[in-house]
Amino acid sequence: MSWRRWLAMGEVELSCLAYVKMYLHACLFPRCSVNGLLLSSSPAGGAVCVTDCVPLLHTHLPLAPITQLALTQVDVWCAQTQQRIVGYYQANACVSDSSPTPCALKIADKIAEQCNNAVLLMIDGGKMSPDYRVPPIVMYERKDTRWTLKDKHTIMLRQWEETRDIASQLLDSGDHSLLVDFDSHLDDITRDWTNQKLNAKIAELASPANGNV
Amino acid sequence: MASVSEMYDVTWEEMRDKLRKWREDNHRNSEQIVDVGEELINEHASKLGDDIWIIYEQVMIAALDCSRDDLAWTCLQELKKQFPGSQRVKRLAGMRLEALEKYEDASKQYDSILQDDPTNTAARKRKISILKAQGKSAEAIRELNEYLEHYGKAAFCLEELMMTNPHNHLYCEQYAEVKYTQGGLENLELSRKYFAQALKLNNGNMRALFGLYMSASHIAASPKVNATVKKANVKYAAWATNQINRAYQLAGRGTKENKCSVKAVEEMLESMQITMS
Repeated sequence: MSWRRWLAMGEVELSCLAYVKMYLHACLFPRCSVNGLLLSSSPAGGAVCVTDCVPLLHTHLPLAPITQLALTQVDVWCAQTQQRIVGYYQANACVSDSSPTPCALKIADKIAEQCNNAVLLMIDGGKMSPDYRVPPIVMYERKDTRWTLKDKHTIMLRQWEETRDIASQLLDSGDHSLLVDFDSHLDDITRDWTNQKLNAKIAELASPANGNV
Repeated sequence: MASVSEMYDVTWEEMRDKLRKWREDNHRNSEQIVDVGEELINEHASKLGDDIWIIYEQVMIAALDCSRDDLAWTCLQELKKQFPGSQRVKRLAGMRLEALEKYEDASKQYDSILQDDPTNTAARKRKISILKAQGKSAEAIRELNEYLEHYGKAAFCLEELMMTNPHNHLYCEQYAEVKYTQGGLENLELSRKYFAQALKLNNGNMRALFGLYMSASHIAASPKVNATVKKANVKYAAWATNQINRAYQLAGRGTKENKCSVKAVEEMLESMQITMS
């Protein structure tokens, strides 16, 4: 591992693509708790670069079978596409409480078994508004056996304002309804939970000069 | 701004029928309901007959979702005038107060319903939601326990639901998921049976199909089962695998969109076969 990468350990980078899809997932089901997996296409070691996410559920989060199924399928897809599962996100239905639920901790623990600097990300519903100045997210990392709050300064979201604007644009245009989570896929298996269509839309909107995506 | 009927070239009857369909399917596409409903109410109220009251209710709830308190208020007033003293309208008034985060007032509203009708579960459930929204989880749990006293725990609730709705594959499937989550061999076997039952009621229920596959696979892989049970469950799992593959092949035809998910499922089923044998 290079010196620079070693220095970057403990840092987490969140890509525009991952953030926008998570945010839209929470917006698409405002009355439900939603969750999903955070993925990385970068090699292990150094900073954790979250380059994509897979939205999973908006119903019955604590029930096991579909979660297990989704984890397995995403695992397989990751192997096929050279990605790794590096974390988990959740947005609680109740916006006044953004602390991780027992279900969130359980799933994050499972992910940490395979990825030792896994992150647990909670979306703070109370802070989600179109012009909020900082990303409405809270991150946790595993220290010993407990999930502890991460220092805000180790979390990086490049081009935050552009990212935030892309999310707003997609909400305004109604394109957020293109988002497919695993739950929706099970309701209609012709729908694609890897969200290729939406990814393309986001890439279109992202500023090409900055190479966000 | 162009009206819905102008933009989409629909008649008021089509709009009214759409609202009815959304009611029946329990769709909560609030923005659309507000757009269509508001126009119907403003332009075609006299033609709607008695349908108008249920439309007021539907539009009011959607308006709350979209922060259109002006519209919600209008609907509520019409309903209050037509149905003075109604519990159902009182509940709607409570929902509006909740949307405005006037939780104490909302709670009082529900209390007044419960005074007249202590078995009104809708009001009781709203009270619990308020406590949850305020972050008062301990009190919410206490209220929930009181409410559940008559029904027992989650699994028991679903058992009740299944008894009164024997054709509802969703309750069956949900019960199976609860059993699976509780874990242990006995619960796994129960879950497999209920996934199978859900499939009998609706053979398109993918959750049930996957659930059957997973529960049967886990039972077959368990060291605690004898050879006969293992063999039977291997058969169930194989059958489910077949059905899943067929469903995905069918779904994959003609669309490029879900090629990724089809491949992922194929590989997953293949790899799980290996660990089971």
